[in-house]
Amino acid sequence: MSFLELVNITKRFGKTVAVDSISLSVDKGEFIVLLGPSGCGKTTTLRIIAGLELPDSGKVIMEGRDITYLEPGERDVGMVFQDYALYPHMTVFENIAFPLDVNRRRLGLSKKDIEERVASVAKMLGLEELLDRKVTQLSGGQQQRVALARALVKEPKIWLMDEPLSNLDALLRVQVRAELKKLQMNLGITTVYVTHDQVEALTLADRIAVMNRGRVVQVGTPREIYENPSHVFVATFVGSPPMNMVECRALPDRIECPGFTIRVPEGVKVLRGETKVYLGIRPEHIEVFDKPVAGAVEGRLFLKGRPWAQSSSSTYSWATRCSELGLLGS
Amino acid sequence: MKRRIKLSVVLINVAMWALALVWILPLYGLTLVSLMPYRVVVTEGWLRIPDLSVVTIKNYVDVLTSPLYDVGTGLRNSFIVATLSTIIPVVAAALAAYVFANYDFTLKSMLFTVLLFVMMIPQQLCVVPLFFLFNRLGIYNTFTGIILLHSAWGIAWSTFFLRNYFRFLPRSIIDAARVDNASDFAIFRRIVLPLSKPALITTSVMQFTWVWNDLFYAIVFLVSKDLQVVTQKVIMLKGEFVVDWGLLSAGAILSMLPPLIIYALFNKYFIQGVAGWGVRR
Repeated sequence: MSFLELVNITKRFGKTVAVDSISLSVDKGEFIVLLGPSGCGKTTTLRIIAGLELPDSGKVIMEGRDITYLEPGERDVGMVFQDYALYPHMTVFENIAFPLDVNRRRLGLSKKDIEERVASVAKMLGLEELLDRKVTQLSGGQQQRVALARALVKEPKIWLMDEPLSNLDALLRVQVRAELKKLQMNLGITTVYVTHDQVEALTLADRIAVMNRGRVVQVGTPREIYENPSHVFVATFVGSPPMNMVECRALPDRIECPGFTIRVPEGVKVLRGETKVYLGIRPEHIEVFDKPVAGAVEGRLFLKGRPWAQSSSSTYSWATRCSELGLLGS
Repeated sequence: MKRRIKLSVVLINVAMWALALVWILPLYGLTLVSLMPYRVVVTEGWLRIPDLSVVTIKNYVDVLTSPLYDVGTGLRNSFIVATLSTIIPVVAAALAAYVFANYDFTLKSMLFTVLLFVMMIPQQLCVVPLFFLFNRLGIYNTFTGIILLHSAWGIAWSTFFLRNYFRFLPRSIIDAARVDNASDFAIFRRIVLPLSKPALITTSVMQFTWVWNDLFYAIVFLVSKDLQVVTQKVIMLKGEFVVDWGLLSAGAILSMLPPLIIYALFNKYFIQGVAGWGVRR
């Protein structure tokens, strides 16, 4: 049984459908990334998991229990917001202690317990020296770590992150990304992470759920998403530069593309007599030869603006191993 | 190198200073007259450079000590009425504004419209029905009555003002607190209120000043001599047949002083509160 399960979640804002019957299951300890362009519903999905939005239909199930209509505070989640959402009038200590402090009676914590737990989280994130500072006096990276600490201190069942790295400068982002992954792996905490940055998704995730227009288009490991996209959207959204796409016609034995024809790859069946398909190839899988090679596709390479490229329309050949060719339904 | 000053800048400055002078002139005159003996005011007029040899604080002493004018009682009464008429509506309005800013509920927009409507009704319009109502309730000519009245007016505009300010608080901060299982009251008390200090102070200062300066309701609803507030007492300083301008001015300045002091003390917050959240970050 999966740890967290979304069942047919739909959410509308007025007439726009933000989330369109999404189903997704997350295993315990898994790091899952919701990846997609802005406005694709990934943040809304995260907020529904957190309980900050209620779905119009569908269920959120955690550890077999239906939590769809529970208050955010009753779900035992820790959340990191894009702008960190630190309490600007409090010190670092007060910020990290807040989740414990407001639930002190319910959790049966003494002041000393809180101090100890804050201290241990602060140590883990290297914040010991900063505990007495106001959060407004901290740098972006430090604020980010305070936000992580606050989401960790109550030892939540699940960590929710909404583009937590997007406000950091490029260098720091890479560094924090690595730290974040290490921390998550050491703690074994189930994490749902929202981002529009494919590099973040590919480096952090155990599995990626690519979203577009309120739907989950494909769920898979970073390798699957990158190498075997099941949809044109995934192929062109993930990868930089994106996958080259050519619209072709598939016949039972061959695929006819504009300017060339190839054999149908092994293990691929063309169902109807003739089907419109997309042929996708990653740029790094294209090899260039200067003389004809068996199995290669003939083509022309145009070189612009270079003095030695006067014969710019000379004939070159492309070649690629068949296994790298992806065929996508349209 | 000398910087050239543009003609337009000079003109704007001249105009501004002239305007400021016009604004300050009545206050200057008032202060001057309050410090001069009756004889000098009547014979020599008020708009001139003060003659230091005739300056006296006799007017102030008279206003404060003479049992005939009873301004001391007025100041005390004003203080009681204005303080309570500030605390009650600001507390109530803060609670209401939190709900208006953070929740969706049935009839929300209609309730808010009613609130705006209440803000726009002229106070004079309600005075007759209120008079009868207060008589029936037995709170005519009592502090309770006038405090409730001022509080009711105060709640409307304070709610409007505070709600606008609360809406500027980053939404994610409140979301974060909700995820951390803070109750609504905890969010209100520990997050929204501390962050809204400038707005709360601004509202309080404005409400206090408004109530302190009120004369109309006081005249209608407070008739006993021992309940009358300072604005009523100041009028009494004007005799039936003669006007002692010095005495009247001293009374006016004394009655203006508390709001001025409060404004001076909280000036910093006041500006932040009016300018909104944007300035703080």
